[in-house]
Amino acid sequence: MKREVPLFITFITGILIIIALFIPHKPFGQLQTTFNDWLIIVGGFTMILGLDSLLLHNWEKIKRKKEGWLSAAFLIASFFITLFWGFGEGIFFHRNPFDASATFLRYFYTYIFVPLQSTMFSLLAFFIASAAYRAFRAKDPNSTLLLSAAALVMLGRVPGGQAVAPWIFAFVLLLLAYYFFNESKKTSGTQQTVYIILAIITLILIYPVFYILLHYLNGIADWIMNIPQMAAKRGIWIGISLGGIAMSLRIIFGIEKTYLR
Amino acid sequence: MGIILPILIFLYSPFKGVKAFDTPDDGGGSITIKWELLKEDSSVMRYDVYRYESLKDTGVLIGSVLRGSNTYQDIGTKDGKQYWYRVAAIYPDTVLFSNLSSPAVSKAQWFNSKTKASLFILLFFGIVLFWFTEEAKKGKRTYIRKIAGLEAVEEAVGRSTELGKPILFVPGIGLINDITTIAALSILKRVAKKAAEYESRVIVPNFDPIVMVAAQETVKEGYTESGRPDLYNENDVFFLTSDQFGYAAGVDGMMMREKPGAIFLQGTFYAEALILAETGHSVGAIQISGTTSVTQLPFFIAATDYTLIGEEMFAASAYLSKDPLMLGTIKGEDLTKLIFIIIIGIGVILETFGIHIISNWFSIF
Repeated sequence: MKREVPLFITFITGILIIIALFIPHKPFGQLQTTFNDWLIIVGGFTMILGLDSLLLHNWEKIKRKKEGWLSAAFLIASFFITLFWGFGEGIFFHRNPFDASATFLRYFYTYIFVPLQSTMFSLLAFFIASAAYRAFRAKDPNSTLLLSAAALVMLGRVPGGQAVAPWIFAFVLLLLAYYFFNESKKTSGTQQTVYIILAIITLILIYPVFYILLHYLNGIADWIMNIPQMAAKRGIWIGISLGGIAMSLRIIFGIEKTYLR
Repeated sequence: MGIILPILIFLYSPFKGVKAFDTPDDGGGSITIKWELLKEDSSVMRYDVYRYESLKDTGVLIGSVLRGSNTYQDIGTKDGKQYWYRVAAIYPDTVLFSNLSSPAVSKAQWFNSKTKASLFILLFFGIVLFWFTEEAKKGKRTYIRKIAGLEAVEEAVGRSTELGKPILFVPGIGLINDITTIAALSILKRVAKKAAEYESRVIVPNFDPIVMVAAQETVKEGYTESGRPDLYNENDVFFLTSDQFGYAAGVDGMMMREKPGAIFLQGTFYAEALILAETGHSVGAIQISGTTSVTQLPFFIAATDYTLIGEEMFAASAYLSKDPLMLGTIKGEDLTKLIFIIIIGIGVILETFGIHIISNWFSIF
């Protein structure tokens, strides 16, 4: 019964929600909103469980003087200060603690909470740089392609990118030609001929690449974003949608039970 | 005068063509009002919509829309009752009234015609899934390709145990009604089972209290299935905060303090994805990520060792349990995807040559 009852509830709820999508007539049309309301109510009550867990977890840290116990103490202190400040403002000063002009909101939310959030968000800039450095290393043909596409999109989107990009790419091609010539000196026979041909092709490409980037870089960046990038994204979306439907049907019909005890 | 005035307005007003009709595909209680835009629409400030409950009624202003708009939805109607509507074009110095619409009655529909495509796909997909499930019941074996991210679960848990470090499982910032979170919990169960086998500790910080309760049950079940319920510690699966960046800061702090040997980033992630993945990378943990948030996938691919891309997350429970029924549904999913790819491919070729058979067929939905 411990498994059957939740499975039955899941089946009925899932089927009703599917029916509600296709039948707007009462009582089906309102079902989704009703279920969502229930979820919000249940969610509100589980917040008590969440707070209990949070406080206990941090209290344990303080009790055992584990690493970072001071942060735990700070968290518990902040929690109770916030709670009592909110109540106090209502009880002693007869002010609504949720009013935007209340001192509690103005000082704690605007001057502590929001700057802390912004600080965390701003870290993303540095993390993007370090992740990009690792991802854009031209170690094989695929990552070279990724690097070139990324460089074109970045230069195509930044102010002044169109003026700089032709020179950057021309310089890279020149370096590549130099590399091929150098390699040709180290080899002989057919391989040497191939390297020389590659070097010549690279040199020939400098002018057309320079010309194209000078005139069409923004268009190329837009094309990369709108066609290949979007195609890949949509492919993933189709997979996710079908996977989501399959998983939902598995849960509704009780095939998937891993989320149950 | 009461009857003559509307007749005069109707005959001489340039503002005509007001239509009122029951809003299609809804649950009732709504009438849509539409009108032809005036030639001098750019001089109009706004359009006021009046509702009349009878022809003798003086009318009630129910709402306004800005110039350029020619539709208004009255969502306060009683089903089965007749209503008339008039629209007034408000100019800076004058008001131009339209004719009175013909009576309209709102009612609830029994089928939402906008969901025809969804119904068709659901039915087709459902039939395919159940056909493959039946095949699996008959004992037909299903091949499923290797998913590197899932194969690496054991390696990650093992390595973490060897290093004597805990395992950190981050279920993201999705709620329990998010199917990705449920998929993440399936992976958590596997991780917990493995961790119990190796007598390792799993830490699960949660963003949502309901997910926390579900995660506690999942980890407990994982430890119990491995025969080590004594190792389960409820305090290791806890609620952190429901604030996005507060959660990121909390988990980052945990990574720096606990230095986990393996980090699982599984679930719904937004801007915090890279913050978490890069911090995990900096502490030298083996990282297995998985999300259905397409915009965060590149970050995970760049910063973590293995990534479950979108649908691979949903296949995880079937892949890990090797249950033939569940694997059957994966096969059905793949067949449907193949059919979609073929239709899209043919559609692209036909459209390129100006043949619109497929796009016309889809437009009937």
